[in-house]
Amino acid sequence: MIRTENLCKDFDEVRAVRNLNLKVEEGEIYGFLGPNGAGKTTTILMLLGILKPSRGKIYLFGEELSRNFLSLKSRIGVVSEKQYLYKEMTAGEYLDFFAELYGVRNRKKRIEELLEAVGLLEVINRKVGAFSRGMQQKLGFARALLHDPDLLILDEPVSGLDPTGIKQIRDLVREENKKGRTVFISSHLLSEVERLCGRVGIINEGRLLAEDTMENLRRKLTDVEELEVEVSEAKKETLEALSSLDFVKGITKEGKKLTIKVKADKDHRAEISQLISQKGEVVLGIKVKEMSLEEAFITITQKNISLLAPSAEG
Amino acid sequence: MKSIHTVKVLMKRELISSLYGPGIYIAIFISFLSSSFILKNYLDSIREDNISISSDPLNYPLFISVIVISFYLAILSAISISRERDQGTLEVLFYGPVSCPSYVLAKYFKDLLLYLVVVGFLFVYFWGVSALTNLGFSYGLVQAAFLSIFSVSCAITFGLFISSFTNRVRSSILYLVGIFLAFLAVQLSHTILLGMPEENMPSALIYLGNTLSIISKGVEWVSPFSYLSRGMDAISLGNPWLYTMNIIYCVIYSAILLVLSTLVLERKGVRG
Repeated sequence: MIRTENLCKDFDEVRAVRNLNLKVEEGEIYGFLGPNGAGKTTTILMLLGILKPSRGKIYLFGEELSRNFLSLKSRIGVVSEKQYLYKEMTAGEYLDFFAELYGVRNRKKRIEELLEAVGLLEVINRKVGAFSRGMQQKLGFARALLHDPDLLILDEPVSGLDPTGIKQIRDLVREENKKGRTVFISSHLLSEVERLCGRVGIINEGRLLAEDTMENLRRKLTDVEELEVEVSEAKKETLEALSSLDFVKGITKEGKKLTIKVKADKDHRAEISQLISQKGEVVLGIKVKEMSLEEAFITITQKNISLLAPSAEG
Repeated sequence: MKSIHTVKVLMKRELISSLYGPGIYIAIFISFLSSSFILKNYLDSIREDNISISSDPLNYPLFISVIVISFYLAILSAISISRERDQGTLEVLFYGPVSCPSYVLAKYFKDLLLYLVVVGFLFVYFWGVSALTNLGFSYGLVQAAFLSIFSVSCAITFGLFISSFTNRVRSSILYLVGIFLAFLAVQLSHTILLGMPEENMPSALIYLGNTLSIISKGVEWVSPFSYLSRGMDAISLGNPWLYTMNIIYCVIYSAILLVLSTLVLERKGVRG
């Protein structure tokens, strides 16, 4: 769906994006993360053809962007952090203008459908200049969906929204993704990205440091993971048997709750569960204490470590 | 085909917005007021002298009207791109199927169509003036009105060019007014120096006069208002060749500035 090859962007002496090789698959929700000034917005502007790359290539829907620029852009819906609306227009007029621009058929019906979906149908005749930040964001979302795009690019889509607004946008993104739309999200709200995205790409100082599923990122970032196990008795001999396992790095006990540090090379839950049962105990619960995206993000960006294969780094 | 559709949609929105706003009607009113003032002086002189010899008596009032409207449209086009760039709406348009050429063309045709609406008002006004004053609604007036479409096109493209490289409305207006004042200053200084007897002039002033003469010739080709002035001269001289050539020059001038505006917009980008 989106593929970049050694994408670079220089602003005078500053290299904002360096040899970026992104790959976003069709139908996925991809989170694009990075600290301020990492090159996220520059990358998005290049994907939209608004900034010309200094070097490298962009492929959208399998075609090179520079070759079929307008036609490819017509298949993308964009929601940016700020909506930059024509404040003198009503919500209906605003969407009608963009619907006509994109050549949408049955414009009135489509506009009403979308305004209903984002909860703005009641204010269809209200001037958008009087809209709150959240309403503007939802209107921007409706505009992005007008032409039924194959790809949604969302740059900080929930920035400045209240929790209800965030949930509404999150639900909309999930719903649109279920319809088969690929979603590319750049956001500072890591918890949102973690909830929504299947895969994430982490960029820092213009360089892509990691691109993978959350599960794989955790695995790559940690040598040891923690299992929280609740057992029926927590007998001494059970603890001794667990400690003798070669992949177990340590055990702490708190009542009937055990925290077992294990090697993060694979999923050890089955082996641990089996051993506890052999010792005549019942496993009441077992779960992996996962590294959050925030922890992964901070680890990767602060240490500036790359989790990519050398060839993927370009 | 897609680009033509884009131009049409962008143009329609802007045209409706301009027609519903007061700006163009205020400009028309000021232009009529200016030409009415000229007409009044003209009629006063006829009353005093009891005679007037002119094949196209309404051409000069029309010239004044067109200059006022041209100036308004030049400002309107000069702030058009910069305002959208400043407000961020330009970026949102470019998320969609809008390219730099289609955007610049939409802005250009919108202002040109707006002027065609003004031409309708001008015809009604001058027809009324002719009926009230018995000053002839001549073929020369129709020729001048037709020529004005091309000269206004030059003013619009000049404004668009300024707008393509400016980020703010205020800087666009300052650039435009500054450049027009510079043109005026060159022409005026040149005219003043031409009126001075050369034998009494110090060599520095002669050198300045020669330099201004060269600059003035350049300004005649760069200033959009010169084309109307030259075309009016061609009409009063009854020279169809000069008249036609002037229209062709206007078309070339407009085309060059449209291309330059597009290139500058592409280079500068929608964010400035």
